[in-house]
Amino acid sequence: MIQFERLSYRYPGNQEPVLRDLSFQIEEGEFLLVMGPSGAGKSTLLRSLNGLVPHFYGGTISGRVRVADRDPVAIGPKGMADTVGLVFQDPEAQFVVDKVEDEVAFAMENLGLDPVVMRKRVEEVLDQLGIAHLRHRSVNQLSGGERQRVAIAAALTLQPRVLVLDEPTSQLDPQAAEEVLDALVKLNQDLGLTIVLSEHRLERVVQYVDRILYLPGNGQPPILDEPRTVLGQIDLVPPLVRLAKALDWHPLPLTIKEGRQFVRSVRGCETLLSGSPLPGLARSGLAVIQVHELGFSYNGRPALQNVCLKVRQGEFVALMGRNGSGKTTLLKQMVGLLKPDRGLVRLLDPDSRRSLDTRQATVDEIIRFVGYVPQNPNMLLFNDTVRQELDFTRRAHGLPPGRYEPLLRSLGLTAYLDHYPRDLSVGERQRVALASILAAEPCILLLDEPTRGLDYHQKRALADFLQGQKAGGHTIIMATHDVELVAECADRVVLLADGQVVVDGPARQVMSESLVFASQINKLFRRRELLTVDDVLRSPPVVEGACNGS
Amino acid sequence: MHPKAWVMWLLAAVVPAFTVRNPLYLILVLGAAWVVYLTLGRTTVGASWGSFVKVGLFFLAVSLVFNMISTHVGQHVLFRLPAAWPIVGGAITLEAAVAGLVNGLALLTILIVFATFNAGVDHYQLLRSIPAFLFQVGVVLSIAVTFVPHMVWSAQEIRQVQRIRGHRFRGVRDLLPLVLPLLANSLERAVQLAEAMEARGFGSVADSVPRRRVLGLQIGLVGALLAVLGGLSILSFFSGDGWWGWAMVVGGAIGALMILGAWGRLSRRTNYRRVPWTWRDTAVVATSAGALAAVVLAQLARVEALTYNPFSPHGLWPAFDARLGMALLGLALPALRGLTGPQGEEPSTGPAVGSGFGHWPSPPDGGGSGTTEDIA
Repeated sequence: MIQFERLSYRYPGNQEPVLRDLSFQIEEGEFLLVMGPSGAGKSTLLRSLNGLVPHFYGGTISGRVRVADRDPVAIGPKGMADTVGLVFQDPEAQFVVDKVEDEVAFAMENLGLDPVVMRKRVEEVLDQLGIAHLRHRSVNQLSGGERQRVAIAAALTLQPRVLVLDEPTSQLDPQAAEEVLDALVKLNQDLGLTIVLSEHRLERVVQYVDRILYLPGNGQPPILDEPRTVLGQIDLVPPLVRLAKALDWHPLPLTIKEGRQFVRSVRGCETLLSGSPLPGLARSGLAVIQVHELGFSYNGRPALQNVCLKVRQGEFVALMGRNGSGKTTLLKQMVGLLKPDRGLVRLLDPDSRRSLDTRQATVDEIIRFVGYVPQNPNMLLFNDTVRQELDFTRRAHGLPPGRYEPLLRSLGLTAYLDHYPRDLSVGERQRVALASILAAEPCILLLDEPTRGLDYHQKRALADFLQGQKAGGHTIIMATHDVELVAECADRVVLLADGQVVVDGPARQVMSESLVFASQINKLFRRRELLTVDDVLRSPPVVEGACNGS
Repeated sequence: MHPKAWVMWLLAAVVPAFTVRNPLYLILVLGAAWVVYLTLGRTTVGASWGSFVKVGLFFLAVSLVFNMISTHVGQHVLFRLPAAWPIVGGAITLEAAVAGLVNGLALLTILIVFATFNAGVDHYQLLRSIPAFLFQVGVVLSIAVTFVPHMVWSAQEIRQVQRIRGHRFRGVRDLLPLVLPLLANSLERAVQLAEAMEARGFGSVADSVPRRRVLGLQIGLVGALLAVLGGLSILSFFSGDGWWGWAMVVGGAIGALMILGAWGRLSRRTNYRRVPWTWRDTAVVATSAGALAAVVLAQLARVEALTYNPFSPHGLWPAFDARLGMALLGLALPALRGLTGPQGEEPSTGPAVGSGFGHWPSPPDGGGSGTTEDIA
């Protein structure tokens, strides 16, 4: 179905090729996962399947691509529209028309299909994706998962031979991601549609795919094989596989179900106990943030209702919940960007012991000790170099330019001090944004979705860094969907739903009692002591060697 | 209702709102538009409707106050401001207030008519019914319009995060941290959308069209437009016998339209759903055309009731011609039940966001019966 022969591609203005001498073959009906560290050329590869690379981007291409015996390089994206359907990362930025039904029909109209055929196909794809009830709605009213399903439906109406998706779930919460992946699995299994998908969070998809194409980047040759084989060779793996590798389980389990068989069959593992007792919530310490009966609405639409929350100095709190549950709004309340409609938010500067009510305090008073890192680093970064970004923040705070080496070293950014921030990869930009806020040395740090588009290594590095910050006495509040990151580093989880606090408790307890917000390792052992791979590896039976499968 | 019927209705409602200054007729048009809006039953566009009304009422108030304090003519004096005050000083009269009110009312009427049209017509459907050669331009325009609110939102967000970073926006030079990310982000978004449209075959031309044909059309279009331009300059420079100037303008314009038409036929677009033209549409078009004709005829005949002047020697009470009033009342026809068609009956299922918590998502329902050979 898809053949690559010695394909190389270089973006215009770049010295190094992104793709180098790529040769592989994908069969009809396959479900292929494309993965690799960020910046390895996954998106470029996907766009070369329908000719957007090189037609849209320019650059130089050599070698041969064939998709369903057609040549995208010669035909171009418009001509390939009925062979390859493409779905992008950001569900918002790919819609042309306001109404779901019209959006779905848009591609067919462009290619001039007969209205009778169009009617039939629209009905079919609406049913296949389970979105027939949304047909008259405006795309702006849909949830993230619904939007992505509409985007998939819109790509399917031309009856493409291949469906290509570029990180379709990276902006979705776990539930919405599940919705989208279920739909894809059904399309692949019921209709035999060939699907090529790129994704960072392997734990979401690895059990569904037939093969994995691993792009290591840096000009190294790719690996294309069965999931187990590929995952066995690389270290960019989900927690379950990491644990299985550490404990030498064969064959590698890909699902919790497969993993549980090892847990049952290996003596000693049922009694796994973590060395440390369960930590409760901090009872002492300065309450640096106090949210009292907070209510807030956007133009009459309630976003927060009666939220009560007390955060003590040195705590690491994770705010979790679906998209639109009020996480970002709550963070913005804590930094005084939004003012309460009802109730109050009180902040305490741990150094001067001065207490501020956000209704009266000015922004400048608050940001002296509170730092807020927005979801999208592109909102923040505009200077020519990373150094200037950090200087800019310090100057705005009335501080002299500082020495940034220790900070940048701990974030792994030392090499980029004089680089243009927007040229960096997503993960690096994310960290530059973090550094540019930390440059002002806030002791309370608010993070909004810091792990979008990060691979496992980058996420691990971020978790380590945040742990270090916490150990240094910083208070951290982080809004995120990333269950595994929360398992790694948060002590406390606050679950929001519909603008209300539903659960507030120690991370281990909350995560082990929830179905959706449990980490992989927790689902595997169903013990609240065990959330992460390290928890298991540190527990006595493993340390004593009772748990080795071999 | 068919978008073309809506356009006819808009035309018939807007012309009197622009040309007639008699408050009774204006109120008739306004009332008709308002009633039509109420029967649309759409809740989704409520926000934009509200802002239309607010802006209209604001202008009404401004016009009223401005007229009262700047026009000091009239017999019914309400009160007096000290004559020493420049401009505002003098008699404040009822006539001035009424005149201001009528001006504001005309503006409010125009806004309400557009707001109703905006709420009632299906924008994309409207886009589909414009000529093919304008379609791409139309899509680009409609995207540009949707880009604006997103840019406003984006600018607010960026402003907030830069402020939180300690930056103060005081002068023009302080805007750089706002403008640069805004431009970069908008560009990125535009590129993403362009990619998505390209990947779905936007702007596809039928395979059989030879490049030379397209080139020929382009040259022809340039030639026709040059002819129009030449004709216009001839007309403006040689004021004498300019019949050949006119000939060039008219000929060039006809040529350009024909070429654009031919161009439009090259694109392979089809329309997903033609809105059927029903007797209701005919009825709306007929009454709208009637109202329009009545207004135009009245204008041509210089009927006195069209204008209104509260100052003496005229009376404060406007004249009223019942025949014209009846014709304008026809503008309320789309409000009759059932005339607005299926767009009024949107399913009111609430958005799924935040509706549940802590449960596994239910699998997408339906669709098991999708025919295999159609996709594979």
